[in-house]
Amino acid sequence: MSPPPIPSRWKALLLRHESILLLVLILECMYFSSVGRRFASADNASDILRHSVEIGLIALVLTPIILTGGIDLSLGSLLGLCAVVFGTLWRDAGLSIELAALCTLGVGGLAGALNAGLIAGLKLPPLIVTLGTYSLFRGLAEAMTRGVDTFTHFPESFLFIGQESVLGIPAQAPLFVLVALAVWLLVHRTTFGRALQAIGFSPEGARYAGIPVSRRIAAVYIMAGVVAALAALTYTARLGQAKADAGTGYELLAITAVVLGGTSIFGGKGSVPGTLLGVATLAVLSNGLVHARQPREVAGMLTGALLLLALSSSVLPKMFAAWRARRHTQRSAIDPAITEDT
Amino acid sequence: MRKNLREWSVAITFCVLLLFMAIAAPSFYQPQPLLSLLTREAPALIVACGMALVIIGRQIDISVGSQFGVCGVCSALLTASGWPVALVIPTSLALGALIGGINGALVAGLGLPSIVVTLATMVTLREGLRWARQGEFVNLPDAAQWFGMSQSAGQWTIIAMALLIFLAIALKSRHLAAARYVYAVGSDAEAARLAGIRPAWVTFGTFVLLGALTGLAAALNMAQSPQVDPKSGTGLELKAIAAVVVGGVAISGGRGTLWGVFAGFLLLASITPALTHLRVEPYWERAIQGGIILLAVSLEGIKKRR
Repeated sequence: MSPPPIPSRWKALLLRHESILLLVLILECMYFSSVGRRFASADNASDILRHSVEIGLIALVLTPIILTGGIDLSLGSLLGLCAVVFGTLWRDAGLSIELAALCTLGVGGLAGALNAGLIAGLKLPPLIVTLGTYSLFRGLAEAMTRGVDTFTHFPESFLFIGQESVLGIPAQAPLFVLVALAVWLLVHRTTFGRALQAIGFSPEGARYAGIPVSRRIAAVYIMAGVVAALAALTYTARLGQAKADAGTGYELLAITAVVLGGTSIFGGKGSVPGTLLGVATLAVLSNGLVHARQPREVAGMLTGALLLLALSSSVLPKMFAAWRARRHTQRSAIDPAITEDT
Repeated sequence: MRKNLREWSVAITFCVLLLFMAIAAPSFYQPQPLLSLLTREAPALIVACGMALVIIGRQIDISVGSQFGVCGVCSALLTASGWPVALVIPTSLALGALIGGINGALVAGLGLPSIVVTLATMVTLREGLRWARQGEFVNLPDAAQWFGMSQSAGQWTIIAMALLIFLAIALKSRHLAAARYVYAVGSDAEAARLAGIRPAWVTFGTFVLLGALTGLAAALNMAQSPQVDPKSGTGLELKAIAAVVVGGVAISGGRGTLWGVFAGFLLLASITPALTHLRVEPYWERAIQGGIILLAVSLEGIKKRR
């Protein structure tokens, strides 16, 4: 059998999902800089970066989860819970900022472990488990603050992480780059990442190949909990306050970014650079619409529509190919001449 | 009784709760507050019935809260502009069916995962509603409240309608062929296809039915108050899913009864007022709801592992 023809390197690169997304991003930037006067400025660029750190962090850790064929709807709620826990530990329990932050990361890990235990341990569907914890985490945050309590007056040194810049770069950016690099290495450069991909492709097959499926799945959910806690810290530092409604709706934005980035919602296929591009596309969209003097709700509506579009575009070509194949077989069944021709 | 162990255990839990309330806080049993409670929760029962069918068919719809909001605001606007109730209710129902049809077409036609599709429609509808109304309430004419009847007559009408719909679906889901198709598709879509059922159409049908029921529920909800909040229906999806899951419907599809859903609905609906009577702060409501969902699914998971 002859090997299949190798397409030219350039063509393959151009047709990659990430390349198309990059093109969309560039077009978006060109459009908004022509519409809004102050869109294309260094200030605005660092503003976009600053505002997309939390969603970016959540989208990054959601990528390995969706890669295994799972989903986590609870991360936005967990961000809210962690923000409230952090505020309580610092203000009411009197811990130092560093210790409170460390404990918050621990709480995030514990919350992730709850998801992990139910999903990997009891083999329950991730969808319903994280729908339950979505309600549980947000409810705990509301109960802790009685729905109204807000934590403010954090020390300057802590707010520095969220609000100041070093050499024109937002202070939280290095943290984000570090996490992005770690997740990229984990997913694309280690056997751990290959195992996740195998699990998403076929859990049973992965088990036969000797991969400890439950432990791998548990690990990604716990990791997601810890990083959601980290996002809660940067969120609190950026806004200077911690409230029970922090991070509402972030799970949708993160899922949209991941799916937009070319990760299959059915698992088995995905890329971290794609997720980063997806986050950038969404962040530029919502920022650009503000500069184009559109109401905030339009950005929300477009995000939902974009998610549907990205999903449909991932299945429509396949459906079209299947439809053509079926039509071909039907026609050849009626008229044998067609098969003789080909 | 052993066959429907799950349904009975939920029903017994509910009875224990009622008994406990009779001893610990007898003030729970006042006819007027109980009647308003049932009226307030009746729309959620209607939505839970539709949700049960969708989940039995191995799908999920988390956009019902937003559908409820859109249908509620639209029917309120129509009522305020002078439409009679007899026209508003079918219109709201049709609008709900249309939105459900969009979800159904995306899920059944394109084979997309229902959770992500309905997550997208949930946000798109809610943001669209917020954009259109800017948080403004819709004021209704006095004559529209309780369908122009006295308060208690209106309350009983709403409860009776909800019970009628529940009974119709519960009784028909055992014998009607279309309802058995839902169970067949939910337990194994490929086997159902080989048996001559068209799974895509069945799935589409359950989404349309859920949308229509949500539209009806929104109209019934509108009749209860002098104004309609554009934020109404927020969190309704969780309420409906919780009632369905607690009532013993398997989230993996194909299993469960409407009677169980009814028991789950009663249990969940009475927990919040019970807590208030026991002087627990209402902020705990969401956490308790989430905890109950997790408890119900974990029990199922533990049972399956044995």
